[in-house]
Amino acid sequence: MTSTPGRILAGRDLTVNTTLHCDVAVVGSGAGGSVLAERLTARGLDVVMLEEGGYWTRRSFDGREDHSYPRLYQEMGNRATDDQSVLILQGRNVGGGTTVNWCTSFRTPRRVLEHWRDHHGVKGLTEEALVPHWEAIEKRLHIAEWPLDRMNANNQVLWDGCGKLGYSRGLVRRNVNNCANLGYCGLGCPLDAKMSMGVTLIPDAVEKGMTVVANASVRRLLVGNRRVGGVEAQLLDPETERPTGVTLTVMAKTVAVCGGAINSPALLLRSSLDGNGNVGKRFFLHPVVIMSALMPEPVTAWTGAPQSAYSHQFIDRGPGKLGFLLEVPPIMPLIAASVFPGFGEQHQALLETLPYTQTTIAICHDGLLPEDPGGTVKLRDPEERRVSIDYPLRPFHFEAFRAACKEMARIQFSAGAREVRSLHSNPVLIKKAGDIDAAMDAAPWEPGRVRVATAHQMGGCAMGGDPQTSVVDSTLRYHGMDNLFVVDGSVFPTALGVNPQESIFGIARWASQYVAAATS
Amino acid sequence: MDVPHPEPAPVGLSRRTLIRRGLLGGALLAAGGAGFLALQSGTTVALPADGLLVFTPAQFAVLDAVARRMVRPRAGWPTVDQVGVARAADRIAARVEPSAQKELRQLLGLFENGLAGFLFGGRTRPFTRLDGPEQDAVLTEWRDSRVAVRRTGYAALRTLVLAGYYQSPSIWPAVGYGGPPRIFEDGPSLPEWKGGGEPRPDGNGVWHGEPLP
Repeated sequence: MTSTPGRILAGRDLTVNTTLHCDVAVVGSGAGGSVLAERLTARGLDVVMLEEGGYWTRRSFDGREDHSYPRLYQEMGNRATDDQSVLILQGRNVGGGTTVNWCTSFRTPRRVLEHWRDHHGVKGLTEEALVPHWEAIEKRLHIAEWPLDRMNANNQVLWDGCGKLGYSRGLVRRNVNNCANLGYCGLGCPLDAKMSMGVTLIPDAVEKGMTVVANASVRRLLVGNRRVGGVEAQLLDPETERPTGVTLTVMAKTVAVCGGAINSPALLLRSSLDGNGNVGKRFFLHPVVIMSALMPEPVTAWTGAPQSAYSHQFIDRGPGKLGFLLEVPPIMPLIAASVFPGFGEQHQALLETLPYTQTTIAICHDGLLPEDPGGTVKLRDPEERRVSIDYPLRPFHFEAFRAACKEMARIQFSAGAREVRSLHSNPVLIKKAGDIDAAMDAAPWEPGRVRVATAHQMGGCAMGGDPQTSVVDSTLRYHGMDNLFVVDGSVFPTALGVNPQESIFGIARWASQYVAAATS
Repeated sequence: MDVPHPEPAPVGLSRRTLIRRGLLGGALLAAGGAGFLALQSGTTVALPADGLLVFTPAQFAVLDAVARRMVRPRAGWPTVDQVGVARAADRIAARVEPSAQKELRQLLGLFENGLAGFLFGGRTRPFTRLDGPEQDAVLTEWRDSRVAVRRTGYAALRTLVLAGYYQSPSIWPAVGYGGPPRIFEDGPSLPEWKGGGEPRPDGNGVWHGEPLP
């Protein structure tokens, strides 16, 4: 039990090497770490949470992309696979991805949980077991369907297009309270209307005694025989991101690694824990392809709730094929300039139409096919924070990308698009619906020749019944260690086919009982 | 449709080797260092008054040249000089880790280099000494290359240069963007709670209901 009040410290608050003692050290403050930490403090445990990114609140959110990406995202928003073929948007701050995501909240699909049971030996993680946790989190985070009459023009294109074609469509549930429909979810909410971890469960836990240290980059776990004794972190200067030279050691009865699907495997590997070669493997990222449409009326896709419509029409395309979820992303100038293809006059002409531009995304569901091993996270220089991320794009990816681009173009034309472009590095312009198939069949489908992105990182520390093929067991405990857990999206043995935040909330809340039980 | 054109691999290296070595792999970069074609000097450009943090003057000149092709003079758009694109790119690169800085420096060297240009595209003059349309052709060659590492290099260079330009709020009017809503201006006047026994300010994120099971 803790006696001192909880607090939130930043890198500069610690000026000399420091050692803290606690019940549970939680490494990472995103969807997994925060839910876990709050539950543990509610049980009276003393928790120290370490976060590599900075502590940013609505006091400092200014809605500017040039400030927000460096502050709030991994690698300043420029994280990518080693070959640059997949752009990786991932949060890095107190609150993690929940500070910058687009609020989309889905429960884990039953068929995915069944797949994990049947193909990966996951035990006990059933819909029935998760429902009470989802219900509690939905209540706490005000998760509710966004009303159709508040849908922005950007989402309306997907909604209308699916309606005209007879495709399934749904309204997105969002974790917001008193949302003003501004559209800046990706840059930090200026109203604290987004129920991110930084304004909800992290302060809840701090009120119950948790200490948070921001700008603390955990370099290694202190590994002993079947047990970890704690963690060792370098403090970073919040401005330069360089180590300040101060080391923070946190000695703990239990350690929970919650750094997400890239940084969690990297931390285990830096600590010489490779899980029989499984750490960093089965890395999935919901590869996304994008189609851009020129609409007759202004869309201003930077305003309004970023995601409010979706379609699961193509989520199950049968054996041998990746299914895909259709959604809509917000568009802002800096990210648009990077993602929209071409250069020079061609590129500038495209950007001049930004207010009339609608984009639709297809989120491909990787990891279910037996022939899909996913990608790999590996270390580069262990002294550096940048890791190697390899995600080979295979023929089944390109089959899905091509099919998805065709369907997105059909939806956009059905909703009234004047013209539609693929985001090939040499963009393909489609002037009418009748040209879609020929144009997309002729386009080059190779890595680096078509823009692929991801905002969902999963796997890398897969859960499963067999230590020969998985990293953590069905209680999220690292195989072979008594007091080391991994609690984040990295434990998913496949991708989900839906935006992951609520799945991570749910599994972390469910797993908190096992972490607590191991802490004595 | 674009028909891929045959392209010679550098002497003594199979394409497979190149690809296996990944972005800016050692052997490909070695071509950026030596040989008489590599020694042909490029043009120089005026350096920022406050100096460079990451790149050499020669690498800065390549960034500047690429920026002038990526962003053309256009009515209503700020110029590359007004934004200071190459300087901004240098500042962005200053925040990435040393190994990534090294790769960017190597990439710029390779892009400029006459030997690499000759091996890949049959040109021997440094990139900065080519005229505008020739520079566009080189950019297109990298973009559409059958060699995956060149497409990777194009993507990395393009991202850096475009970030250097489009980070500037001065481009917002050109793309029809009005900027963030006024509500963000309230930020600095708001309290920031850091615990330590202070009462937590009320707000949307505070839970007023019964404790959850």
